[in-house]
Amino acid sequence: MRKCNKIGIIIKHEYKSKVRSKGFIISTLLMPIFMISIFLIPALIAVFSSESTEMKLAVLDKTSGIGREIVNADPSKYFLTDLTEDSLKAKVIAGTLDAYLLIDDAIINSGEAVIYTKGGGGLGFISSLQNNISGIILHHRLINAGADTNIIRISQEKVKISTQKLTSEGVKSDDSPILAGLGYILGLLIFMMMMIYGAYVMRGVIEEKANRIIEVIASSAKPFEIMMGKIIGIGAVGLTQVLFWVIIGSVLFFAANPIISSFFGPEQALIDTAAVSGQGQQLPTGFELPEIPVMLIIGFVFYFIAGYFIYSTLYAAIGSAVDQESDAAQLQNIVTLPVILPILFLGSVINNPEGTLAVILSLIPFFSPVLMIVRLAASEVPLWQVLTSFALMIATFVLCVWVASRIYRVGILMYGKKPKIKEIFKWIKISV
Amino acid sequence: MDLLRIENVLKRFGDYIAVNRVSFQVGAGTILGLLGPNGAGKTTLIRMITSILIPDEGEVILFENKNPNNAQNRIGYLPEERGLYKNLKVIEQLIYFAQLKNVDKATASSRAKEWLRKMDAESWANKKIQELSKGMQQKVQFISTILHEPDLMILDEPFSGFDPINTELLKSIVLDMKEQGKTIILSTHVMEQAEQICDNICLIDKGSIVLKGNIREIKKSFSKDTMLLEFEGDDSFLNQFDGLKFINRTKNRAEFRLENSEERAAQILEAAVQNVELSHFQVKEPSLHEIFIDTVSKRKENGNEKMQ
Repeated sequence: MRKCNKIGIIIKHEYKSKVRSKGFIISTLLMPIFMISIFLIPALIAVFSSESTEMKLAVLDKTSGIGREIVNADPSKYFLTDLTEDSLKAKVIAGTLDAYLLIDDAIINSGEAVIYTKGGGGLGFISSLQNNISGIILHHRLINAGADTNIIRISQEKVKISTQKLTSEGVKSDDSPILAGLGYILGLLIFMMMMIYGAYVMRGVIEEKANRIIEVIASSAKPFEIMMGKIIGIGAVGLTQVLFWVIIGSVLFFAANPIISSFFGPEQALIDTAAVSGQGQQLPTGFELPEIPVMLIIGFVFYFIAGYFIYSTLYAAIGSAVDQESDAAQLQNIVTLPVILPILFLGSVINNPEGTLAVILSLIPFFSPVLMIVRLAASEVPLWQVLTSFALMIATFVLCVWVASRIYRVGILMYGKKPKIKEIFKWIKISV
Repeated sequence: MDLLRIENVLKRFGDYIAVNRVSFQVGAGTILGLLGPNGAGKTTLIRMITSILIPDEGEVILFENKNPNNAQNRIGYLPEERGLYKNLKVIEQLIYFAQLKNVDKATASSRAKEWLRKMDAESWANKKIQELSKGMQQKVQFISTILHEPDLMILDEPFSGFDPINTELLKSIVLDMKEQGKTIILSTHVMEQAEQICDNICLIDKGSIVLKGNIREIKKSFSKDTMLLEFEGDDSFLNQFDGLKFINRTKNRAEFRLENSEERAAQILEAAVQNVELSHFQVKEPSLHEIFIDTVSKRKENGNEKMQ
């Protein structure tokens, strides 16, 4: 009874003093703006750059009409020229012409052509030109080889694959791509929250130690209560922040949806599915929320909390071992490494969420919060794997709390010399 | 009733023995001076009383109860190194610390305001700690120590950082609390203050008790062997006495030590009255300061001899 009481007071104190701080309010509000700009700025840059830095290419055609076909492929980029090569060269050097392309009949066999520029133009320009020309050259080669125009048309027909997901309730359109994207975002979110809030816990512990507050609190409550109270209180702050973002995100999503779809046109919306509403009642707009698997939501909440607890207890132990933040860097690296490693594997796990590598990595407790959430989003993870991972996480959490609280109760009373890692492990064993 | 009994307590840190089989008692309603040079083991001892540390051997019995955890709420501890949250408002800080001692929020708030008023600090209630001067922070820290009305207060250098006016204020508060039946352990290096306030002292050096008991009795047990005379006239009458060790001898003033002081003090006084115009005569008790230095430095000499 008394114990709960004191942890409760500490949790409340930690929560209230953090939530009301300017730093928290600012970061909570700025984060969505930051995220939106991450998505919007590249899009805007792309829009503006495609308009302004477009190169104009003069085509000097010495063939029987291939030049005309190239120009027809994109008249905004290419135009035919009657000028001599020498005067074209002079114009490029003088800067009145961006570039010119010289083609002759040899191109059909050799497949080679040269653009003369003053330099630059960008890879995007070259690759789009290459695309345009190869199609035309292929066409000519086929004609030269005596192919029928019908066959040519058939050979150039593209393959379009769409996936349909089979479930016991019938065929549904597969939301895998967007879910994988969602998994990626959720994984990164958990990663970020673990790093940021773990560091908050560490800084809080160091502040209490450096200001000798700990001496006063330790004479009022047990070190274990103090440590867990701080971790739970700050964790609740993180949860508050995420909850706020989720709400803001959903509101923005529904508000922005009509605008986005009016840009792309409804037929170009990323997904067209009626999966959300069972009756097939389509929302009037382009984007639709894919059906989010229940397991993903459970997984996110679990891994968010468990991941945070595992890392923040370790951060608390580090904080207790040092006198000031600058001494913590070296110890911090040991803990940060297993948080950063899964980020490196993120791509390969998304590409092949059921591969052996992905399965093994995602079961490692320190990696699970990031990698398992990605797998849960991108594919159907067998239940036994999820449950195994949950059990491993809980076991790791218990172990971390035990180790960290043993270190903490000694560390908070130790001042002076920066302890070596070996010494810190000795603290686990000694009695206070 | 003994409010606190320390029985044969020993605490090791690795091979180093910080507190070596220490025993003493503190009676309810008394003030104990816990004295000793730096690194003597005072803080370790205090940490065991506040159950931040657990003794390796021996027992700390608080309120006649062997489980010290239950006692935490009845102790107020003012550590030597002061600790407050810099970003917290004074009133929030006070309430939080009181809540940790199981005082409910409303009570804590009203008591905090009352104490701030008593200490002339009402206007700071909504200021952040970091906006306060060091002396002001000291006051806040002191209030936080007593807000839960503890039966036992442990004050480690409570007067450091205070100006003379606030030192007197604090002293009177401490003595008031004693009147109310509270028990206080005062750890300090300032012997004059210990002498003024404490009933009993306990002098620790290198982890062991070297001197303990009632302050008056301790002073009595140290022989009164210093005399001070102030006078007008010729001081040659002093030459008739053998074995005076002068500490100070000027035209109108003589300070000296003598053996067998009880008897000879009367003789010297008599001679002085006959020969000079005496304005001041004193057989000085040794001050706690002298006792402290004497005891600790003697131990040092003995220790050195032993080592040799």
